[in-house]
Amino acid sequence: MDRSLTDRAPAQYAAARPVAGGWAAQRQRAFLYGLIPALVVLTAITLAPGIYLLVTSLTPLSLVRPAETAWNFSKPWGNFTELIADQRFTNSVGVQVRLSVVTVGLQLLVGLVVALLLNARSPFLEAVRTTFLIPMVLPPIVVAIIWKVLYTPDISPVHRLLIWAGLPVSSLITNPRAALWAIAIADIWEWFPFTMLMILAALQMIPEEPLEAARIDGAGPWQLFRFVILPLLQPTLLVAALFRLIDSIKAFPLIYILTNGGPGMVTEVTNYYAFIQAFNFSYWGYASAITVLMVAGVFFLSWAITRVVRTEVDVE
Amino acid sequence: MSSRGEDAKGRQRAHTRRKVVLYGGAILLLVVVMFPFLWLLQMSFRSNDDILGLSVLFTPTLEHYRALRVGQFPRSFANSALASVASTLLSLLIGVPAAYSLSRVEFRARRQIALWVLTTRMAPPIAFTIPFFLAYRHLDLLDTVPGLVIIYLTFNLALVIWMMRTFFDSVPRALEEAAWIDGSSVWGAFLRVTLPLAAPGLGATAVLCFIFSWNDFFYALILTRTAAMTAPVAIVNFMQYEGWEWGKIAAGGTLVMLPVVVFSLIVRNYLVRGLTAGGLKE
Repeated sequence: MDRSLTDRAPAQYAAARPVAGGWAAQRQRAFLYGLIPALVVLTAITLAPGIYLLVTSLTPLSLVRPAETAWNFSKPWGNFTELIADQRFTNSVGVQVRLSVVTVGLQLLVGLVVALLLNARSPFLEAVRTTFLIPMVLPPIVVAIIWKVLYTPDISPVHRLLIWAGLPVSSLITNPRAALWAIAIADIWEWFPFTMLMILAALQMIPEEPLEAARIDGAGPWQLFRFVILPLLQPTLLVAALFRLIDSIKAFPLIYILTNGGPGMVTEVTNYYAFIQAFNFSYWGYASAITVLMVAGVFFLSWAITRVVRTEVDVE
Repeated sequence: MSSRGEDAKGRQRAHTRRKVVLYGGAILLLVVVMFPFLWLLQMSFRSNDDILGLSVLFTPTLEHYRALRVGQFPRSFANSALASVASTLLSLLIGVPAAYSLSRVEFRARRQIALWVLTTRMAPPIAFTIPFFLAYRHLDLLDTVPGLVIIYLTFNLALVIWMMRTFFDSVPRALEEAAWIDGSSVWGAFLRVTLPLAAPGLGATAVLCFIFSWNDFFYALILTRTAAMTAPVAIVNFMQYEGWEWGKIAAGGTLVMLPVVVFSLIVRNYLVRGLTAGGLKE
């Protein structure tokens, strides 16, 4: 992809350059000078590290024994064959899938319900909508601290309220059956404003005519929603879901602060596993291999986004 | 006549009732959603003896904020500000001309650039962290602010290029063409004519870059240790190494989120655009 970019751009200029040269050609060159620094820097900070990551994933690099492991390509697929057999890795993929499905699904649902509720012209509701942006823009580490406070029984107002009501509950984040849900709840709180915002924007674009026509035909509010509004929202819901899905793969601060991947491995997502392999165990080659697989997955999802969006443009 | 009046009154009542339900629901939602956030905020103002207090009425104290003035927190806060501002300025400096070029010249590679931008925005941070960490060991950039500035470019530069391109697209070309006829160079016309017209977009983009850099935790956690430690990492250190000083943690968290909340309210109309840069149709 990136090679085609650098290959093609000059050809493009050559084609656009008029025979007479002069001022028009100068202008094209000026534009090219504007583009080159960014392409050089982008290549240096994204493409080069990407290649380095790929190369590292083919070596058993460990900083504990750098002499034998760096640039050692004797078994280039060793990491990947090991990964297939690594139960901790397969477990992390399973955790990731469960976390992503739950958080994305519920973020869409909550975002949709809240957007429908708040979708009216009123200064008060507008203020509420603006306030709801706060969880999404907070530094992720602050979100993690907020939920650490709520989930730690000794200091949590919720836990103390439950004890006072005679319904003591053990901590969610130390309970293997509940820990992933605890993460999911915090994540849903953090990111439902994103789906809400996107859905609100789409709701405001819905033309009045189909709604009016359906009302004249005697459609009730539920039918109006199910057969008119929901189909019109579908592309937006899809795009929002894909964005949240891709971001859910990056989940880190919540897990780092709330559960540290535990108890056991029930909240250890793939991203976290790669982090542990590199920075706790110093298996850099192995961690790179995990990351390469993650990037491949993310790349596929990004491609899916542009696909979906392009069909959306085509329809219009 | 009278029944029509009754009708109108009934409709009025139904309308009022719906409004009460709607506003009641909105207020309830507001309380539930904002409770976790407000709880941390109020904890930061409670004295240590009363840190777990549930009472609504208490005497607020600034003791935790005063406690933050000593130790490494002020320095980490300065590091955060420095890294975020420097990375924002650098990505604007490199990204804005590129965005303008992309807006004005038809590239067949535009879609590939879009995908490139989207991929860097989407790639999990660990994909950059591993090679950057390995390279920084040799470049002496570990635990330095410039090291952070460079890695923040991985997300900021793509954001600037994408957002500014859409802003430049909406500035009419006729204006700069007029300046060219008057003898301006391409970049002279850009600076005098086009850029001022795109100033609101430039401001919004800068604020988003700042927010994304400021909010970073993962890169700073791994690439810094003491000298270049940022505020989010410093707060986590309150949790792990210095015992559980909840008042200090809450106050530190409040200080870290304060600039972000203020800035986000300023650019709230651009938030989705920034968060979905590269993925949505122009």
